[in-house]
Amino acid sequence: MDLDINKLVTQILQGSRIGLSRSITLLESTRADHRKLSEDLLSTLLPKTGRAIRVAISGPPGVGKSSFIEALGMRLVGQGKKIAVLAIDPSSPITGGSILGDKARMEELSKSELSFIRPTPSSGVLGGVARHTRETLLLCEAAGFDVVLIETVGIGQSEIMAASMTDIFVQLHQPFSGDELQGIKKGVMELADLIIVTKADGDALTAAEIAKNELEQAVMLTRTAEHGIPSVLLTSAHKNTGIAAVWTSILSFVEQQKASGSHSQKRRAQSRQWLNQEISTELLALLNSQARFEELLKITQQRVETSGEHCSRAARNLILSLLAPCP
Amino acid sequence: MQENQKGPATLGSVENQNTDLNEWKNLASKELRGENLDQLNRQSPEGVTIKPLYTKQDTAGISDFMDTLPGLAPFTRGPRATMFTHRPWTIRQYSGFSTAEESNAFYRKNLAAGQKGLSIAFDLATHRGYDSDHPRVKADVGKAGVAIDSVEDMKILFDSIPLHEMSVSMTMNGAVLPIMAFYIVAAEEQGVAQNKLSGTIQNDILKEYMVRNTYIYPPEPSMRIVGDIIEYSTKNMPKFNSISISGYHMQEAGADSALELAYTIADGLEYVKTALARGLDIDDFAPRLSFFFAVGMNFYMEIAKLRAARFLWNEVMQAFHPKNPQSSMLRTHCQTSGYSLTEKDPYNNVVRTTIEAMAAVFGGTQSLHTNSLDEAISLPSESAARIARNTQLIIQEETDICHTVDPFGGSYFMESLTADLIARARVIMKEVHDLGGMVHAINKGIPKLRIEESAAKKQARVDSGKDVIIGVNKYKNNSSSDSVEVRDVDNSSVRNSQILRLNTVKKNRDNAAVTKALAALKLAATSGHGNLLELSVIAARHRATLGEISESLAESFGRHKAKVQSISAVYASAYGGQNMIEAIRLRATQFAKKSGRRPRILVCKLGQDGHDRGAKVIATGLADLGFDVDIGPMFQTPEEAAKEAVENDVHVVGVSSQAAGHKTLVPDLIAALKKLGGDQIKIVIGGIIPSQDYEFLKKAGCAAIFGPGTPIPECAETILNFLESNV
Repeated sequence: MDLDINKLVTQILQGSRIGLSRSITLLESTRADHRKLSEDLLSTLLPKTGRAIRVAISGPPGVGKSSFIEALGMRLVGQGKKIAVLAIDPSSPITGGSILGDKARMEELSKSELSFIRPTPSSGVLGGVARHTRETLLLCEAAGFDVVLIETVGIGQSEIMAASMTDIFVQLHQPFSGDELQGIKKGVMELADLIIVTKADGDALTAAEIAKNELEQAVMLTRTAEHGIPSVLLTSAHKNTGIAAVWTSILSFVEQQKASGSHSQKRRAQSRQWLNQEISTELLALLNSQARFEELLKITQQRVETSGEHCSRAARNLILSLLAPCP
Repeated sequence: MQENQKGPATLGSVENQNTDLNEWKNLASKELRGENLDQLNRQSPEGVTIKPLYTKQDTAGISDFMDTLPGLAPFTRGPRATMFTHRPWTIRQYSGFSTAEESNAFYRKNLAAGQKGLSIAFDLATHRGYDSDHPRVKADVGKAGVAIDSVEDMKILFDSIPLHEMSVSMTMNGAVLPIMAFYIVAAEEQGVAQNKLSGTIQNDILKEYMVRNTYIYPPEPSMRIVGDIIEYSTKNMPKFNSISISGYHMQEAGADSALELAYTIADGLEYVKTALARGLDIDDFAPRLSFFFAVGMNFYMEIAKLRAARFLWNEVMQAFHPKNPQSSMLRTHCQTSGYSLTEKDPYNNVVRTTIEAMAAVFGGTQSLHTNSLDEAISLPSESAARIARNTQLIIQEETDICHTVDPFGGSYFMESLTADLIARARVIMKEVHDLGGMVHAINKGIPKLRIEESAAKKQARVDSGKDVIIGVNKYKNNSSSDSVEVRDVDNSSVRNSQILRLNTVKKNRDNAAVTKALAALKLAATSGHGNLLELSVIAARHRATLGEISESLAESFGRHKAKVQSISAVYASAYGGQNMIEAIRLRATQFAKKSGRRPRILVCKLGQDGHDRGAKVIATGLADLGFDVDIGPMFQTPEEAAKEAVENDVHVVGVSSQAAGHKTLVPDLIAALKKLGGDQIKIVIGGIIPSQDYEFLKKAGCAAIFGPGTPIPECAETILNFLESNV
């Protein structure tokens, strides 16, 4: 790998595709020396970040995230905007390998000179998916992308993660007939800033309209005006309808937030949250790197298993004895 | 048989049989030295248990087709009463390459040498609705088939071939409208009216979405085209088969015989419904529906498949109450399996093809293509094509094989196997039915996934040596003396001559008339009114090109985008021998530790080559071995693939090539990578690559070439070898 950080910085600032992609690889690397270099890289680029609109796109598998992103992305590149799409694909816990097919599902957008789509396997990411995605987002901003879309599978933790680093959280739903709403988690509904019903065309149009009504009623019940009540929009990626309205809504949401000051407030809160996360991540890494860690861990594990010692106390004792200055 | 069951215990009665069978079991156990007899049972890929011995008991429960007769419903024993005893099947060799002139000369030579009927192979640019001058098809023109851009090309293709006498089969599904139109107009200008034309158009779009991928439009408008063609030919071309419902490509893509059988019948059902929705009478069009199956190396299974297919088709057609028995009588073309052929020890392919041809004959096919021995490597050379044709002539004229109808009829094993296969197919057909028919099943991607799963399992069985391929994974011949002569098409000269003729055609035509005809076509596409073939014929007469006709429809219908899905863990679990797998996974993990990430490879298909079985199987196989695998969209240009490779920062790009475009595409890919600064990304290539091209590809910069039959673990190791040396 090319490890000349200055060269990478220059390349990124010039908007070089390969410069950006190799820098992302550097962030993804599990090697400690790479980690240090990527911190150098990010520190240098940090002043150049912050200007993109950061959008989380969330929804269960099969809802049509890729098609929606393709349609939205094509509209934006059509306006001359530079779009980056970050996607995390699951790695197999057994083989460690993964299949990354996001680009195949965003065929047109992937061809555009103004797009950058980067799928990342979940397993190869040091410090967790959250750190990786956040840092990649910053690199994309430094490289001059106007909009960064973060695609996430709609399951608990990964949605909260995506919400914690974006300006607007867009949630996708399939058309449904009305009685399926119970299945939609209340907690996740609370994250949404904008709700989209996909596939609103042909035979599914009626079901999509029903879904829109149901979702509108549901957000009225679960959300209060002070936290903002998300609008619900119908789209069809297939017929390319409703996409313009989505973008208008995203823009006006972000503008409103900027005007009210809650945009910068949100980003500051996100930074604090990030810092908190990094403290735990770094602490864990620090413990791991201690020479006596493995040995002490084994002893503590045995104690917990055999003598029934309380885990919380055992953990605290382990940490304290590791961090205590050597006698 | 029934008499025996009612009457006194004679030899062959059930009780007696039980006693005899026990005695046989004792004897057999002795031969096995006391080991369990069950170990002689074999599981077929279809999920049928193949026993070492079949007896009368195995056929006792079969009531719906035992003791029936050929030519009579349910046609299990054959569609004709006399079958080959009166007239043998039609020898129909599929061919075409380069320009219309060259293909025409090749056809005329073959016809003189005893071939009956023509079967036209078109190049991939034509299949996908592009004229030869389109930038996306630079590497595809004239490769793997003949390039046809307008009526002028079609006229040259059939020059001095009397179309009122010659049965012409055309493999075309995507650009089916312009090709049919060109054929009709070429005949017309030869002085042959369309009602005299006989032959077959494949026109089977549904299987394109599952395998092969030479579609243009999405499923719904494509089904309208199918309907328009059936309607048009029913009215105007009574001797022409309006569709050839094809399982062939499913088997080639890795489907087992049950999947091939079930999905083909299910496709057929969908076409019947489409035609009925047009208000056509079942008996007006159903007799002109034909089928097309693959015949692979599972000899008995393939015979049973053809028998089962006729039975099932007759059964499903009863729902539409045909009055003409021919409406529910399945007639089929067969082709020996290209997948079963090997690059190593190529002369073994003659033997394989012979065995497969015999299965097709015992199964009662109506026409047959036998593959050439070099088909695994390249387009057939002249001598290889002659041997392939002679294989059929020898069966027909030197042996006694044709002297009896359905010689396997009444065989305990064959009748039982036929029944088992029917039962398996019914389960799969029920799944399709429950999904709302084949169009819905395809939209959900279910059949494609089932076929890909079957393909990954098959590959794993071959790679682990469970399925034996002589010369490849057993009894390997390491001397390379047996190389075969290979036909190479100079792609750029074909392209240049096509472009020249295109320009001439465009210069000499009435452009106003063309514009008007194309506008009418587009209007009909948008409004849903009017027969698209009828309007295409008008456009063709005015010399509208294939690309223009296709594009004016695409403006209304859109172009179909494949939903790329993938499977995982299937390969590794079917492979079995876990030591090999574990060893490679460990190396991948160690590589990740050392270099900071797992080996990452982009598997891509370049050009218009839609055969994606190899790419899909490699992708899932490598992921199971611990690689991170990116899959590209179908039909990428080298520039698009290079962009994707650079963005994803892969270590390696793996190109899967089945359609002979590699000598143009690979150098273009390397140049495109360089342009984006991705020089460090390695290129490997696999698929149908003649050994003559190895030197060229290596010089161009390929790090490794994986010929047909390379086991996936071997590919993985080769890639790891050069990645590790670079860390």
